[in-house]
Amino acid sequence: MPRRFQVTVDGHTYEVEVSELTDASAPALKPASGPVAEKEKASGATPLVDKERAPGARPLVEKERAQPPARTEAQPAAAAAGTVTAPLPGVALEVKVAVGDRVSAGDVLVILEAMKMENEVVAREAGVVQSVHVVPGASVASGDPLVTIG
Amino acid sequence: MGNSDTLQELARREAQIRAMGGPERVARQHQLGKWTARERLDALLDAGTFQELGAHVVARVGEPAPADGVVTGVGRVDGRPVYVYAQDFTVAGGSLGEMHAAKIQAMQDLALKSGCPVVGLNDSGGARIQEGVDALSGYGAIFRRNTHASGVIPQITVIMGPSAGGAVYSPALTDLVVMVRGTAQMFITGPQVIRAVTGEQVTAEELGGAEAQLTKSGVAHFAADDDAAALALTRELLARFPANNVEDPPRRPGRPPAAVDLNHLVPSDPNKPYDVRRVIAGLVDDESFLECQAGYADNVVVGWAYLEGQPIAVIANQPRVLAGTLDIDGSDKLARFVRLSDAFNFPLLTLVDTPGYLPGTAQEYGGIIRHGAKVLYAYAEATVPKITVILRKAYGGAYLAMCSRSLGADLALAWPSAEIAVMGPEPAANIIYRRELESAEDPAAARREKVAEYRARFANPYVAAARGYVDAVVEPAETRAAVVRLLSALLPKREARPSRKHGNVPL
Repeated sequence: MPRRFQVTVDGHTYEVEVSELTDASAPALKPASGPVAEKEKASGATPLVDKERAPGARPLVEKERAQPPARTEAQPAAAAAGTVTAPLPGVALEVKVAVGDRVSAGDVLVILEAMKMENEVVAREAGVVQSVHVVPGASVASGDPLVTIG
Repeated sequence: MGNSDTLQELARREAQIRAMGGPERVARQHQLGKWTARERLDALLDAGTFQELGAHVVARVGEPAPADGVVTGVGRVDGRPVYVYAQDFTVAGGSLGEMHAAKIQAMQDLALKSGCPVVGLNDSGGARIQEGVDALSGYGAIFRRNTHASGVIPQITVIMGPSAGGAVYSPALTDLVVMVRGTAQMFITGPQVIRAVTGEQVTAEELGGAEAQLTKSGVAHFAADDDAAALALTRELLARFPANNVEDPPRRPGRPPAAVDLNHLVPSDPNKPYDVRRVIAGLVDDESFLECQAGYADNVVVGWAYLEGQPIAVIANQPRVLAGTLDIDGSDKLARFVRLSDAFNFPLLTLVDTPGYLPGTAQEYGGIIRHGAKVLYAYAEATVPKITVILRKAYGGAYLAMCSRSLGADLALAWPSAEIAVMGPEPAANIIYRRELESAEDPAAARREKVAEYRARFANPYVAAARGYVDAVVEPAETRAAVVRLLSALLPKREARPSRKHGNVPL
């Protein structure tokens, strides 16, 4: 049974539908059509919960509620062979590789800022970068996929 | 019966025992890339030093089997006596019955009485079903002896074949577990049972191979590529350990360290990682560092080394893994290593660069409080000389945990780059200067300024040194010389704890 949430990320408000899945391979998060904050401003609708917060405050509650289904989807991908995952929660500071790059074991893939440290996330084995799952500035949770090497 | 007859009878029986499971089974063992029990003992022990004991022991039930599937006795490694038992997979699959177990127990008893290490070479299909509860009882009596010998004599188990069910617990009770890649597997319940109960599909190697037990579970301390490498490593471990808890670990001739520019190794920017193993290489005798549990909880690096020939145990935070934080697995690894090293009289050298404990619900729900407490307990309990060097970050509880002076380090040194404070500059500035930051016109700029102010005032070694929590601030390049001087002066140190049954280590 899908539940609807409003999520504000970096000032953009999104409407999302969240439904719990038994089949983890199906998409879990279905983004609503674009930011709704502008629409509501124009129509003079009642202020959103997020708007009542201090500017710049992160809507933690909404974000966390929205996240668990997203993570259940992420986990099979994270467990897939060749996918390098975030060793700890943080922010992707730099992405050092692009799809198609050939990497050797030990090459730095992503600089992950976490615990006040620019952590080097390295390739476990040699291969070609199949996909990159993060962009610079993206927040990642522990275990989120970063780069898939095949 | 004349003398020659009795000699012939002995020779006949010995030949039968030496033939083990017979040529076919021995050939199969070789096909699997495994040596026989006797070949393994030849590789482990100094040539010509093995004296077999209990060779004529046989089981009460079934056909008599050569040596009842386990070769036991005493030999020498590096000239020092070691009791050994080697399970023989070619005889009844190395299965453990009552008498097989009794032979192992006899080695454990002799080793404990005489204060010598005991090494087990395990390669066994498990309990001998025909012997029922007698086999089971055999395991129990081995576990009891493992426990009673713990901290008195070094106990090493080399897993060189299957080790399943109850068979895994004797290794787990010993000090060090070495596994052979590809042929050794340890698990409580095997792949078939797991498939039947949980539906998970997993191979024996994925489940309990050397790689899994070394890097995922932390059950194994070392993995080796083959029998020869595993036994060579075991010889090296025995050469480094004392025979018992009363002796000191043997010294070696001193050697200069590797050429590492310690003055420029640690980045001054506290956000930049580096490999702490380079610091270790630059401090200890060249190529003397033997890392223990490499590949498991690598945010903590532990191992034994020599410092001008003096054996030491080295413990370090690793800033390039998990930012050098302390977590559940790292705490367990560190605490166990400290307790093992203290039991066998290795002085502790701790190198500190940690931002604190790893945050997260997984850590809190997993019990980081009680696991982290093991680190405090192990350091405070240890009576060997303890020297701590603070390289860079040392904040709050993690600073205390990493063998701080307050916790019981005999001496604490700090590099000029050390940041020793109650917490990191950012959160500290937010709390201390809360009012100023709230009323500031540009809060972000004010925060940056206050963070810099806090860093300058508190995040350095001199505040702690002013209170005596740091005994000396030393140049990185001078650290080896300082530690050598201080350690040689500390070696005669004797510390006693009140007599008690035992402490209650927070397990």
